Amino acid sequence: MKVSLQALARHVELAGVTPERLADILPMLGLEVESIQSFGLSPLPLVVVGEILSFEKHPKADRLSVCLVDVGEGAPRQIVCGAKNFKAGDRVPVALPGTLMPGGFEIKVSKLRDVDSMGMMCSAEELGLGKGEDGLLILPPRKPALGTPLNQLYGAPDTVLDISVTPNRGDCLGLRGLARDIAAALGLQLKPLSIKTAAGLASAPSAQEGFKFVRSSSEFCPYYTLRTLRNVKVGPSPEWMRRDLEAAGLRPINNVVDITNWVLLEVGQPLHAFDAKQVREGIEARPAREGEEIVLLDGKKVKLETGICVIADAERPLVVAGVMGGAESGVTSTTTDILLESAWFRPGEIRRVARRLGVSTDSSHRFARDVDPAGVELASRLATDLLIEYAGAQVVGPAVAVGQAPRADVTIELPAGYVAAKLGTAIAESDIIAAFTRLGFTVKPSAHGLSVVVPSFRSDVTRPIDLVEEFIRIYGTDKVPVGRPVAPLPGEEDALSSVFTREVSTRLAGAGFTECCHYSLRDAAELERTLGADKAAALALDNPLTADQTHLRASLLPGLAGALALNLSVHADPQGLFEVGTVFRPQADGTVREFISVAFAALAEPVVRSWKSREAFDGLRAKRLLQDVAALAGVSAVRLSFGPASSGLWQTNHAAALADRGRIAEGACGILDLRWTRLIGIKGSVVAGEIIFPRSAFAEIRKIPRYEAFSSFPPVTKDVAVIVPVGIAAAEVESRVRQGASKAAGKEFALESVNCFDVFNGVGLPEGCRSLAFEIRWRHAARTLTDEETNQALGVVIASLEKGAGWTVRR
Amino acid sequence: MQQQLVQLVAAATQEASGVSTRAEMEAFKARVVGPNGSLTQVMKGLATLSKEDRPVVGKLINEAKKAVEELLATLQVKIEESEIAGALGAPLDSTLPSPDAPAGSLHPLSRTREKILSTLRKLGFTVAEGPEVETEWHCFDALNTPADHPARDMQDTLYLPKSFRSADAPRKGEEAILLRTHTSSVQVRTMLSRKPPFRIVAPGRCFRRDAVDATHSANFHQVEGLWIDRNVTLADLRGVLDFFVKETFGPEAEIRLRPSFFPFTEPSFEMDLRSPNLGRLSNRWLEIMGCGLVDPKVLELCGLDPNEWSGLAFGLGLERIAMLVHGIDDIRLFYNNDTRFLRQFA
Repeated sequence: MKVSLQALARHVELAGVTPERLADILPMLGLEVESIQSFGLSPLPLVVVGEILSFEKHPKADRLSVCLVDVGEGAPRQIVCGAKNFKAGDRVPVALPGTLMPGGFEIKVSKLRDVDSMGMMCSAEELGLGKGEDGLLILPPRKPALGTPLNQLYGAPDTVLDISVTPNRGDCLGLRGLARDIAAALGLQLKPLSIKTAAGLASAPSAQEGFKFVRSSSEFCPYYTLRTLRNVKVGPSPEWMRRDLEAAGLRPINNVVDITNWVLLEVGQPLHAFDAKQVREGIEARPAREGEEIVLLDGKKVKLETGICVIADAERPLVVAGVMGGAESGVTSTTTDILLESAWFRPGEIRRVARRLGVSTDSSHRFARDVDPAGVELASRLATDLLIEYAGAQVVGPAVAVGQAPRADVTIELPAGYVAAKLGTAIAESDIIAAFTRLGFTVKPSAHGLSVVVPSFRSDVTRPIDLVEEFIRIYGTDKVPVGRPVAPLPGEEDALSSVFTREVSTRLAGAGFTECCHYSLRDAAELERTLGADKAAALALDNPLTADQTHLRASLLPGLAGALALNLSVHADPQGLFEVGTVFRPQADGTVREFISVAFAALAEPVVRSWKSREAFDGLRAKRLLQDVAALAGVSAVRLSFGPASSGLWQTNHAAALADRGRIAEGACGILDLRWTRLIGIKGSVVAGEIIFPRSAFAEIRKIPRYEAFSSFPPVTKDVAVIVPVGIAAAEVESRVRQGASKAAGKEFALESVNCFDVFNGVGLPEGCRSLAFEIRWRHAARTLTDEETNQALGVVIASLEKGAGWTVRR
Repeated sequence: MQQQLVQLVAAATQEASGVSTRAEMEAFKARVVGPNGSLTQVMKGLATLSKEDRPVVGKLINEAKKAVEELLATLQVKIEESEIAGALGAPLDSTLPSPDAPAGSLHPLSRTREKILSTLRKLGFTVAEGPEVETEWHCFDALNTPADHPARDMQDTLYLPKSFRSADAPRKGEEAILLRTHTSSVQVRTMLSRKPPFRIVAPGRCFRRDAVDATHSANFHQVEGLWIDRNVTLADLRGVLDFFVKETFGPEAEIRLRPSFFPFTEPSFEMDLRSPNLGRLSNRWLEIMGCGLVDPKVLELCGLDPNEWSGLAFGLGLERIAMLVHGIDDIRLFYNNDTRFLRQFA
């Protein structure tokens, strides 16, 4: 809200309070100052009134004119000018050499394209008068004398503060409310408001009034007043009012409209003036009927939502209540009789309707923040005073009122010691009483503390805790002491999911991966690639803002692949990238579940050339990383199995899906679909991995490992090579070796490990077969194993392996 | 015989200098001390000598033997060294660059988050987490946000369609499902599920229906603290924030609490920060976070008796803090993932 300090000073004495001081005080009252700007003409003694005697085209520049300008010095000055909007005889402001313009630019005697120029003729904008019409500021003819300083034509410069008012402080959307807070902060008195029009409301229109009824049948309009004024002469407003409106950023229109706007700025109560001749029979605040339409003041024709509150006459809706007037019933230059509305509408409904219509007016903004019901009549009287004085209006009777003020003053019982208990420091009762009194509250001692009467202009103060806030605003937050730190509570630990996030990030960063952070919202194509079209639809937003952010992400891999592509394109030589974050997956039961995902991706072949080559990043290294990540989440490698990956993100035959016997982790690793990664601009193949865990996976407290004793005797190792059809998974062969070796050890000794050390596909093997070689390691807890028993054990292993169809053990 | 021994040692020494492989060394060893070696032959001759001569010659033989053994030991070291050098190949040139990639790095938002969490952990705040897709009740109603509050508007908040069912945030009745606009919903879930006293901090991703520009992002991150106990006061709030700010921005940083408005706290404040070491933003009051005492209405809605329990809450934007601490001027840098940006925080 733009606040003119000159206007504000009508309500509180600001002599000796600089704008800077005010800009320091206001934020500490909860009123943020967005900007401080000067308004009006700042002191410019060398800018004078001049008259353009004649002008001709500049000999060397088409766009410039060479003018002879009389500034009352006897001889005219020659001034070169770029504007086009003047004619000979026009009066304009002339900045004489030596002027320091508001923009900081100094006017000097100069040559423009070889022609002397002895000053500058000014536009409104150059003088700091805001964005006026293009070109020079043309002054009124004849008076005053040429050479008169321009400041004599303008009032003293003003300062305008742009104040941001929080939604709870509707009372500060008028100068008077704002002045009240400032007066409280500075310990000043609010200046009295003098109104000549008498108070008093009638319950029904009298015979002289031009309408038959005033009614409200809308629940959203519990209180409505209407006053008749006749013989109004519509014309321009007085200069001071126009100035006030312009300072507040409003455009003056005519005296009637300007008066309603001025009162709104002054006391925060919106008013509406109808052209009485356009109103048939009477006025009713009623629910809009099905199919009703209205042409609003801004010229837009809108279909009214059934049930919203409209102000209507006997035939048609005239106004969307509290939001915007209609074009038909508004005041025009030919209006003579007006009906002046001042009312109270339900804040929530006004907000809803305004938003629905896509408009925010000064009126809806204030009604939505709960105007003071006690201000309804007051504003009407204030406007009536002004209509009489500046529009020659004649008043017909008192205002007619229907319904009654929906709120009144509120009495709050404030228990003794309550404020001190909330602040954490001792507070004298006298300080409390003083603060509330300054805010215009009435304080009386009561049985258990204080009884505080809060006037209806403060709808936000209804409870003792609200009074604490009021107190601290006036008392000052800097007087509250800084509390001393308190020791942590025993047994409190971070959520285990957050511990995992931290640990896994540190682990992957240590493994050479750079952490990334991508948007959660992705486009449809990405989701279809990740999940397929059916499942992707389950992750669509209802009201996306942009076409590229329509779905919740189901995987972190598209983001990482995109980041690899971006970094390649800018030659930033990406190493491995990783991300940890939430992804969303549709579940079999129709719900969508959130998962913590850990994903990484790197180019299989590094882009940076090196004098020494290193082994390429491949799917099996990705597998190892996934197993390590799973272990950090408490999912041991033995629970995990790997099979072919089927999602559209992965390259067929070169990626694996991970399954968890414990049904917690899911994932995949390998090479990303090559046609996709090539499409986004990556030449080589991308090796990646992703594993996801539901948040609930981390709910259990992690087991503390228990020490197990181990043997001090040497192990025995035996090798076995198995020839199997290529279709048999290595994991199956290994599992069979493990089973056999474990069984062979029996209860006497133990299998320690089975390790695949050779895979052979070459010459000498039967067609369609491969050979897998394993090293089996046995150990005894209490003695050294003999050759005899281990050879026997190996025999058992071989025998069990050869039971497999097409399986042979190489001898 | 003495003459013979001197010649033998001299010859062996001469021969040893030409030995360069293990095989040559073994052959040389056999020629001197093997069963038919030259020294062995001399030693065998000792038996033929008289009793008187034996001690003298014996001593000479021992000396020669010792000399030969030393010769062999030296040779052994020399051969081993040569073998090791051969096995290792060219010597290490430590001035060459390592061909391996350097360690990775954490994202600046992660680093900032961890710094903040570790600071708050010192004050007894432990991490709590909750779903990113929330019910309208947890995100708004429970936080005393009126039904017609602008924040709930379709213009400002991202909603999921009516058909959407969240496994993590099941809806009650007809309430809407949305992307949380703040992590305060985690505070609500904590108040509902735990018995006070507790101090939690909820870091996490939040969403607003904002067009992306240098200062706005479709998603962003918050860290919100909540302390519920008996008699929590404004002095406690100042204490926590003062500690936090001095840990994060240095001991010269100051704070001020500026009255403001949030539906879920009363009184409510914006906390401003002033610090001499923030580059061009130094020595100015900067808005950092919202905070206040938990509104009694919120306690009630979350099943806590406001006459017994009280609380303080504060929330800040991770991006804003990271931008201030590191002098970053465009929020989009966090989400572009250009490694020339990310690696600056390695």
